[in-house]
Amino acid sequence: MLMHRLVPIILGLAVIGVVTAVAAAMLVFLGQNWADALFWIFAAVMIGSGLMVVTMRDIIRCGLAMIVCFGALAGIYVILGATLLAAAQVIVYIGAISVLILFAIMLTQTKDAPSRLVFQTQAVPAAIASIVIAIIIALAVVATDWGEAAQRFRITADALSKVLFESYVLPFEVISVLLLAAVIGGVYLAKREPGGPS
Amino acid sequence: MSGSLDAYLILAGLLFAIGSFGFLARRNAISMLMSIELMLNAVNLSIVAFGAFGTDAAMAAQGSVVALMVIAVAAAEATVGLAIVIAIYRNKRTPLVDEYDAMSQ
Amino acid sequence: MSLESLIPALVVLPILGFAVTALIGRRLDKQAHWIPVLTIFAVWVIAMALVVDVLSGTAPLLPGSEESHGYAVTWFTWIPAGAFHVDVGFVVDSLTACLLIVVTTIGLLVHVYSIGYMSHDAGYWRFFAYLNLFMFSMLLLVLASNFLVVFVAWELVGLCSYLLIGFWYRKRSAALAAKKAFIVNRVGDIGFALGIMLIFVSLGTLDIREVIERIGELDGTTIMVISLLIFAGAMGKSAQFPLHVWLPDAMEGPTPVSALIHAATMVNAGIYLIARSNPIFAHAPSALVVVAAVGIFTAILAASIAMTQTDIKRVLAYSTLSQLGYMFAAFGVGAWTAAIFHLMTHGFFKGLLFLGSGSVIHAVHEEQDMRNMGGLSSKIKITYWTMLIGSLAISGIPPLAAFFSKDEILGEAYKFGFLWVWAVGFVVAGMTAFYMFRLMGLTFWGTFRGPKAIWDKIHESSPVMTIPLIVLAIPTLFLGAYLGLPLGASRIAEWLEPVFAEGLHVLHTEAEPSYELFGLDGVLILASVTIAAVGMVIGWRLFGVGIGPIRMPSRPERVRELSARVPFLYRASLNKWWFDDLNHVLFIVIGGRIAAAFWWFDREVVDGTVNAVGASTVDAGRGLRQVQTGRVQNYALGIAIGLIVMAGSYLLLAR
Repeated sequence: MLMHRLVPIILGLAVIGVVTAVAAAMLVFLGQNWADALFWIFAAVMIGSGLMVVTMRDIIRCGLAMIVCFGALAGIYVILGATLLAAAQVIVYIGAISVLILFAIMLTQTKDAPSRLVFQTQAVPAAIASIVIAIIIALAVVATDWGEAAQRFRITADALSKVLFESYVLPFEVISVLLLAAVIGGVYLAKREPGGPS
Repeated sequence: MSGSLDAYLILAGLLFAIGSFGFLARRNAISMLMSIELMLNAVNLSIVAFGAFGTDAAMAAQGSVVALMVIAVAAAEATVGLAIVIAIYRNKRTPLVDEYDAMSQ
Repeated sequence: MSLESLIPALVVLPILGFAVTALIGRRLDKQAHWIPVLTIFAVWVIAMALVVDVLSGTAPLLPGSEESHGYAVTWFTWIPAGAFHVDVGFVVDSLTACLLIVVTTIGLLVHVYSIGYMSHDAGYWRFFAYLNLFMFSMLLLVLASNFLVVFVAWELVGLCSYLLIGFWYRKRSAALAAKKAFIVNRVGDIGFALGIMLIFVSLGTLDIREVIERIGELDGTTIMVISLLIFAGAMGKSAQFPLHVWLPDAMEGPTPVSALIHAATMVNAGIYLIARSNPIFAHAPSALVVVAAVGIFTAILAASIAMTQTDIKRVLAYSTLSQLGYMFAAFGVGAWTAAIFHLMTHGFFKGLLFLGSGSVIHAVHEEQDMRNMGGLSSKIKITYWTMLIGSLAISGIPPLAAFFSKDEILGEAYKFGFLWVWAVGFVVAGMTAFYMFRLMGLTFWGTFRGPKAIWDKIHESSPVMTIPLIVLAIPTLFLGAYLGLPLGASRIAEWLEPVFAEGLHVLHTEAEPSYELFGLDGVLILASVTIAAVGMVIGWRLFGVGIGPIRMPSRPERVRELSARVPFLYRASLNKWWFDDLNHVLFIVIGGRIAAAFWWFDREVVDGTVNAVGASTVDAGRGLRQVQTGRVQNYALGIAIGLIVMAGSYLLLAR
């Protein structure tokens, strides 16, 4: 009994330990600075969890993997200097959207879900198409000369809010209306028909 | 590596490709919506990266702002999309998009 | 009202008669004959007035001619299409006058005769309507001044022939005969049409007088081709070999029709056309030889068949073919006046013979097979005597009609050097006399071979039928002498000289060979009379005779014996030399197979292609329909592929 409680804690500690070790190793042996090392770690986590999202059989696990992915992405935002955005990412994506998705999964569950096929019949062409898309994007990016910009800017909340409420105030208001409309629409669409099937 | 724009962009492209694979290949409608979220996040990343490596600080802020908007819109879209999936689920009793072929010939 | 202004009335009156009779004839029923008969009577009066005027020389000179008297009237312009200008006009010169005599007189007599002959028929009014329509067409043909109008009238005459042959349309053989006549005619008409087109292409005009004036401008080959094409048309209409097969079958029509159309008028249209175009033929001597050859061959072919036929009308039909052959032969050797002379005399005595045979058929209650007749001379006297006169005439016994005309043909053939024509014509003259008296013997002499019940009921026909017979007998007796004398400068030669002189001049022949009563001409005349007499006597000895003091019994057993001696010839003659069978095999059987092959091709290949296009469209649709699964993910994959293609091509090409 006690072992069951302990397993997740030990698992969590093990993961932290591994990550720290890898980071330390990268720092020491590869001579990279923090930013680079963190970048690699976060990138790896993001890609890995993204793959898990699209390939795992159990949808709940897909959802959880998605949460991990969003978290890693927030980390990358921080590396880029957009701290407020990283906070917004965590609050909105992980805190709201992912929860919403998990609720929807729960509401649409079928009894024999895990035993059936995961992928469509067109999975192979889809995979090929996705790989080709990735290759094309990579080629396009590498082939373009993006100009001199070695410096990264740190975006303060102050600067961000100034831009937001000065230049982008109209889109800001529109988006608030949009959110209102979306909420109302969502409620209406998902409403149960009076007297209809439950 | 973290100092070059290319890396972030390639990362974003990779995530986008993964998201598109999930969208095209999964059977469950909710999985498709999750893949859409992945794709939107990839785009967000590229926008912020462009902003951060821009010409001045204002541009970086702008990148952030646009990404914020995208997050808001994605939330709205996820709401409505899920509401639709639930509504269809009530009719068809299944979340699998294989069955949603009423418009076929 | 001058005579000239009455010329259009010659065609207007019959067509009005047709229209009125066609519209209200059903209600008039048994009185329906009044309007057509009166119409044709009026036409006859006007025509005779014109004839007298033109032939006596009191008519004005035709424009452009120094000797030819007549009238040239332009009625209205039909086609004013720039270079292609066709006027509907009428020309009445001496040639037209000769034709008018025959056409209108016999037309009128046939109309009167039909009152009696068709009196029991339900389609009485229809018959008279058609007769009037025919008169209109025939008159338009002989009066027309433009080749195109002649062609229109040509076709109309063919149409009327079809309508009248197939008058008893419920009878299958009649309907088939009408079709046969029309189709065979059509074959000839193609030649005529081509000839007209060639004339227009070469000369740019279709007006007959203009063409005749300018024909010398063309080269010899063109003229010969034109001549042969026009002759092809004449062959069809006048039933020369090989387009002769329709005329015997045309006897399915009522006897007045046979008399009018197939003895006296329509079949003469071919001769008329050639005579009218004589300057064209004058420039093409080789075409004339073709004409002579075809003509004389038809003459002997038809005569040989007539010797064994058992239907009284068929004998007369083949006789018509034979005499028409004589006319073409005459034309071919250059004896143009003789051809028209024979045309006129033949019209009268053949019309007489046909109407007489109609009277015979009427008397024995619609029996046409001569084997069931006999001994009728005692019972139907008027018919008998008139037919006897007709038979003597056609045999060429002087001084009756054909003696002069036939003899002139043979004489001129000999003198122009066409000895083969003379020889064959000579033999045919004998055969003619033979089969005519065979007909007389089987029909009128001897004993009646039919059922007794009919013998008791035989009576002479009503006056409305016998009077035309008597009337026709008069020209049969005297026309030959009237036109043919004096020998050497005959009246008809004098009439027709202006029409033929120029052509004959081009042909480098003597315009009027002179006759000597003794010498070469005398020998020829004697020879033809002799062969006619020989044929006649042979006919008497085999089939009997009973004219006054001359009496001989018929000897059927001798006939059988003689036929048994020449079995092939007898059978060939009886089967019309198998030409109908040949045509049947060639066109019906083989043509039918070819048509079936084309039908297969049309069904399988052409229709198959069309159907295949339709079917492949449907199949393609069915295949393409698979794309629309209704599933969003499939469509999204399509979008992704499209995106890849566009982005990829941009990367590859625009970099």
